[in-house]
Amino acid sequence: MDNKKNSLTVKDCINIGVFAALYIVIFFVTSFIGYIPIMMAILGVACAVTCGIPLMLFFSKSHVFGMVSIMGAIMGIFMILMGRPWYCIFVALAAGVAADCVLKNGNYKSINKAVIASGVFSLWMMGMEVPLYFGARDTFIESIKEGYGEAYAEVIVKITPNWMFYATIVLTFVGGILGGLLGKAVLKKHFKKAGMA
Amino acid sequence: MIDINEVSYTYHVTDAEGNDVYRNVLKDFSLKINKGELVVLTGGSGCGKTTIIRLINGLIPNYFDGELKGEVTVAGMIVNKQPVYETAAKVGTVFQNPKNQFFNVDTTSELAFAAENRGTEPEEIIKRIDKVCDRMDLLDLMDRSMFNLSGGEKQRIACASIAVTDPDVVVLDEPTSNLDDKGINDLREILKRWKRQGKTIVIAEHRLYFLKELADKVYVLDDGKVAKELSGKEFDSLSLEETALLKIRAVDDSFKKKFGDEELSALLKTKGAIDVKDLDFKYSDGVHGIKISDMALPKNSLIAIVGNNGRGKSTFARCLCGLNKKAKGKVDFEGKEISINKMTDRCFMVMQDVNHQLFTESVKDEIMLSIDSKDEETCEKKAKEAMEVLDISSLSELHPMSLSGGQKQRVAIACAIASDKDIIILDEPTSGLDYYHMIEVAEVLKKLVKLGKTVVVITHDTELIDECAQCVVKLKKYLI
Amino acid sequence: MDVSIQTFKTSGERALLDPRTSIFAIVVIGVVMVGGSLTGIEYVLRVISCMIPAALLYAVKKYKVATIYFLIMLFIMIIEGTAVQSTVGALNLLFVILSGVVSRFIPQFMMGYCFMCYTKVSEFVVSMERMHVPSVITIPLSVMFRFFPTIAEENRCVIEAMKMRRTGTKKPSLLQKMEYELVPVMMQTVRISDELSQAAMTKGMGLNRKRSHICKVGFRAIDYLMLILLGTILVLFIIY
Repeated sequence: MDNKKNSLTVKDCINIGVFAALYIVIFFVTSFIGYIPIMMAILGVACAVTCGIPLMLFFSKSHVFGMVSIMGAIMGIFMILMGRPWYCIFVALAAGVAADCVLKNGNYKSINKAVIASGVFSLWMMGMEVPLYFGARDTFIESIKEGYGEAYAEVIVKITPNWMFYATIVLTFVGGILGGLLGKAVLKKHFKKAGMA
Repeated sequence: MIDINEVSYTYHVTDAEGNDVYRNVLKDFSLKINKGELVVLTGGSGCGKTTIIRLINGLIPNYFDGELKGEVTVAGMIVNKQPVYETAAKVGTVFQNPKNQFFNVDTTSELAFAAENRGTEPEEIIKRIDKVCDRMDLLDLMDRSMFNLSGGEKQRIACASIAVTDPDVVVLDEPTSNLDDKGINDLREILKRWKRQGKTIVIAEHRLYFLKELADKVYVLDDGKVAKELSGKEFDSLSLEETALLKIRAVDDSFKKKFGDEELSALLKTKGAIDVKDLDFKYSDGVHGIKISDMALPKNSLIAIVGNNGRGKSTFARCLCGLNKKAKGKVDFEGKEISINKMTDRCFMVMQDVNHQLFTESVKDEIMLSIDSKDEETCEKKAKEAMEVLDISSLSELHPMSLSGGQKQRVAIACAIASDKDIIILDEPTSGLDYYHMIEVAEVLKKLVKLGKTVVVITHDTELIDECAQCVVKLKKYLI
Repeated sequence: MDVSIQTFKTSGERALLDPRTSIFAIVVIGVVMVGGSLTGIEYVLRVISCMIPAALLYAVKKYKVATIYFLIMLFIMIIEGTAVQSTVGALNLLFVILSGVVSRFIPQFMMGYCFMCYTKVSEFVVSMERMHVPSVITIPLSVMFRFFPTIAEENRCVIEAMKMRRTGTKKPSLLQKMEYELVPVMMQTVRISDELSQAAMTKGMGLNRKRSHICKVGFRAIDYLMLILLGTILVLFIIY
């Protein structure tokens, strides 16, 4: 819907809240279905796919810069509330702003840009993966050894070599794109026909 | 108080192909409402009454996209040239759907919400809430979760939250659509009080009987124009024939026909019975519930189930459909005894909010989904038949969600026919429907009986019952 | 009791804990439960942390949930204290994973549930404002609060409707099932969001307007007790 006003309105804020709630519920349902701690590395992919559906609907409702960024910030706040490290919020905010930029580039109208934005947005989950890699890795593995035991730590080390981080980013991005495509299909199949998007 | 001066309005919407559509609703429309008047706007769906409400509370042009010409003045403010929150200080709005107009989860916060938005002093707000609570008898509703209130209770809270800010003008957009008898009575009392206080009230509504002896002026709208203007006295004395002629819902809500136990037993004798036995259900509070030792419903007839308590009626419907897992009991049906939890195979319920039960991308798919057969051809044939019965063949390829409320309901009924289930239950099928659509529903229900179905209608719509029911069962005595 | 006292003034109960205390509790419990080890003092800290939600649930009279949660966590903590310590290899891995799924995710989730149980939306908004969070963030967050139960309600209705349509011969695939469940809920979401926005606007809601509040938010004795407890846990956790 194109709006004369170019600033956020009450309606936009309510839309953000409603869709954030839906997004989080779907995120949780997905992660419970596929949850084993070992799957940590690929969890993002599964979630990115399912969450892409409501996300695309949300994108179709956003018409001004800021909505998607705020959504990202809310995901970050949510992650912190779930006991994730503090930098998650910045990763999530960055992902939100980046996705917002992609959408803006398409003037908030291009559906293909929205699919890419869905891929970008899903990278907010990367904050959770950071401790697995880079400088933090040794301390993290050490803490896993303490926390979860030797055997578990070994498995984690085995399935998460450093290149895996980049692979996860790519995979999550691809997952987000897939979710975006799925969302695009649902939008076209249902919401467009129903005159609701 | 309210002056709508030569206003034209055109909505901008997007259609299924993504094209912009311009839908003109009002053209050079003028209306003057004096201070302290209670004005009723009525007429068929799409006649423009909701648009007028939106003009008064400022949602047009601030929320809806469209083209506005002319000027709307309310209490000296030019409403269409200021933000909604300025208008909100003088105009309170009650919406159609009680469950979606609350911002808070608990009732007390909701009462304070509007006043808080205006930055009123906390002590002042609390004082006002106390006063409203006393006057409107809300003690039992304070500090409760919105999710545990009935529709009527929610609407009372909605009205009370407006009373707390004490605006001069109150507008109501189909406030009774989702209310039962008791809720409507409560609303009537509230309207009476507001009128005494000298508030200016504008109601857009289909259902009219509860406005008897309250309305000062009634405008029957048609296609964005005033088709008939009635004074309060003229309105009060409208007979059933006259309202039918005007194509509006009845003002006189007494039954035309008489429904006694004789009709019921006569039907039972000729048609045979579906026996509901030992039905037992309790709400989570452990006290209230439904207990039926033996209830005989005549087969292949149109049964209206009435009762004051909206909650009890819908719960009964869910029990009978086998959707209520906690309910115990059995049903004697064609000589077989079926556990009530297995009734899902025999019953189809058309829910009050049909939006919940439409899943697919076209009407045809929707109907095919409920046909119990793998063979494509039989499916197609059955779907076609069902669509023909309900006269929706032309909608076959459309998305169910793009249809109007009445059409959606028909699709759901078509699914019921196609599913070959024997019992069809409808939960408040006419809530929020105008006269024309109410008559349509009645015709459809009669058709269902002709097809050999047993139709159970949960309703408190006296006009609908008059129009089509064969017998009436009162649920009151079964409720605990 | 005098009738006039029975009105809102006395019934306007405050939340058990200040929202800020509750949020801090969620964070601390999360940090300890996700990252803590299964030996030494960290194990003790984990046991204490995971029992905080149980105690709070008891305090707000959610006895059933509290008891179930308490028993499950007790069981898991015993496993982590004994079975995990005394096994090696694959068996150890199995125990770690099984108990980890519960202990590393459920407690902060339960704390969040507690928080939502006893905190009103308005209290939450006030405390966010006290922390100088702008309204473009507080409004979405408060809507989320309200919307979780709505999603549950809508979903229940859709599932019921689906049940009525289920036929013996046609089994929808997983993808179809997802579509049938998700799409109606999403449609309702759009509709509700629309109606909610209209209602909020006509009740005078605007961005960046100065609001007043009737609910009282502030730290009380119980908050300080809780903060001291949580602070101690956090400090000990970081030191060791």
